Amino acid sequence: MAFDATDIALSALKIGIVLFMMLNITPIMVWVERRGSALIQDRPGPNRVGPFGLFQSFADALKFILKEDIVPAQAHKWLYTMAPAFGLLPALTTIAVVPWGRAFRLPEKVWFGRHVFENRPIFEPVVVDVSAGILIVFALASLSVYGITIAGWSSNNKYSLFGAIRASAQMISYELSLTLAAVSVLLASGSLRLTDVVWRQTGYFVLFDTLKLPAWNVLSPAMWIAFVIFTVSAFAETNRLPFDFAEAEAELVAGYHTEYSSMKFALFFMAEYMAMGTMSALIVTLFLGGWDIPWWNEPATWQGFLATALFFLLKVTGMLFVFVWVRWTIPRLKYDILMRIGWKVFLPLAIVNIVVVAGFIAARWI
Amino acid sequence: MEFAIFFFFAAVAIIFALVVVLHRNPVVGALSLVASFFALAVMYVLLEAPFLAALQVIVYAGAIMVLFLFVIMLLNLQHMAEPVTRPIQQFLGYTTGAAFGVGLIYYLAKYAVFDKLPEGAFPSDAHSVGVALFQEYVFPFEMVSILLLAAIVGALLLSGRTYAKREAAR
Repeated sequence: MAFDATDIALSALKIGIVLFMMLNITPIMVWVERRGSALIQDRPGPNRVGPFGLFQSFADALKFILKEDIVPAQAHKWLYTMAPAFGLLPALTTIAVVPWGRAFRLPEKVWFGRHVFENRPIFEPVVVDVSAGILIVFALASLSVYGITIAGWSSNNKYSLFGAIRASAQMISYELSLTLAAVSVLLASGSLRLTDVVWRQTGYFVLFDTLKLPAWNVLSPAMWIAFVIFTVSAFAETNRLPFDFAEAEAELVAGYHTEYSSMKFALFFMAEYMAMGTMSALIVTLFLGGWDIPWWNEPATWQGFLATALFFLLKVTGMLFVFVWVRWTIPRLKYDILMRIGWKVFLPLAIVNIVVVAGFIAARWI
Repeated sequence: MEFAIFFFFAAVAIIFALVVVLHRNPVVGALSLVASFFALAVMYVLLEAPFLAALQVIVYAGAIMVLFLFVIMLLNLQHMAEPVTRPIQQFLGYTTGAAFGVGLIYYLAKYAVFDKLPEGAFPSDAHSVGVALFQEYVFPFEMVSILLLAAIVGALLLSGRTYAKREAAR
């Protein structure tokens, strides 16, 4: 592999954009979460700091920084300090394989007397387009359990430990249905590469020779079940209500991060929202057509790229709002019910769904 | 560049492997094993086999070690005293370990081929691994499946509450 300055600059630019988006998810989503919950529960919500309370998140961030950082005396100091970083790392890196726009050919330009993009390289709006794409996502997502587990164990607090044990049991259980639901999509697209998965969804399903539906996987008769399984499992994987047993304030104080304060606590907070963002991006990529704009043939120019990137952002935002919406609508389940539906409903359904999709492919219906 | 990355992650893998064996705290040991596996996955990436790297992380770091950690945390081995070992046990342990290590290095030095690595990218994507598993190695593959099934049935039989046991408890 040969790299030249253009490649490195473009990679740095992509990483910068993605990192910027991921880091800004938290303050924006905290605001959406609070105002959204207020809207759903018919109360004003935070509306004092800035217009519509928009600067509330900045006030919160300032407060986090200024608070005292406490390490419990009986905690395992090293692991206690490293746990928030373990939690943040998978949340930050997973998004790297998700494509967020249509690829386009860079126009040749002369800047300051130098020819840039001389051989007109293709700008692929994804940080790394590896052949094992979706597997990298699952590999990193499976590591996210360590942040919670280590935090709970190293705090040396029984509530933290309970939160950690519940979280790891829950995440192991739902990872299976999450992965198996994604397998049906990969079967249909015949590739692990997420850019291929999106490209396959840019076509149309034609109904009765007149109605053109976008060929998004969610609209496919074989895969909407996979979409439901994947979305519910995504809620469980990100520890969001109705599956937030890692925290479960009513039972476990604050679960695995009971002992954490100041910025260490804020890092867990950020990791949760980033994981939500990544999961939303994944749901959009696998089932909702990725960056595809229905009924429009996106041109391979920078205008087309910009439109698709914004549309992708819009879809992810919509999915993120669903996360908030569900949280304030559905109460927490009981733990045994969570485990039962994970193993006895979603896992068998996902396996049956794979067989159904394989049958559809064998019959050449999709 | 590749050499620098290789030596860095090789060192990481070896250091964390040593921590697994030498550290007294089982949780630290388990986590070091995860780090060691992760460094090993980087080796696969360097060999241009991202598929194998992802599988390495998913299977070992993401699934098996999580369960190990889970069990260690549930048993709370942290405060357990080291079991008393007799001198003969220690002697046998060290000798077996040393013999195994010497044998391993001997065979590695004798049979490993360092100058005949396959040219270019080794076919290790999902497709070629699938074809190899279901054509060339289908018999061992099925045998391993049956072995795993036997293990699952055995675990269920040992831990599950059977009708007879429930009746006896009543």
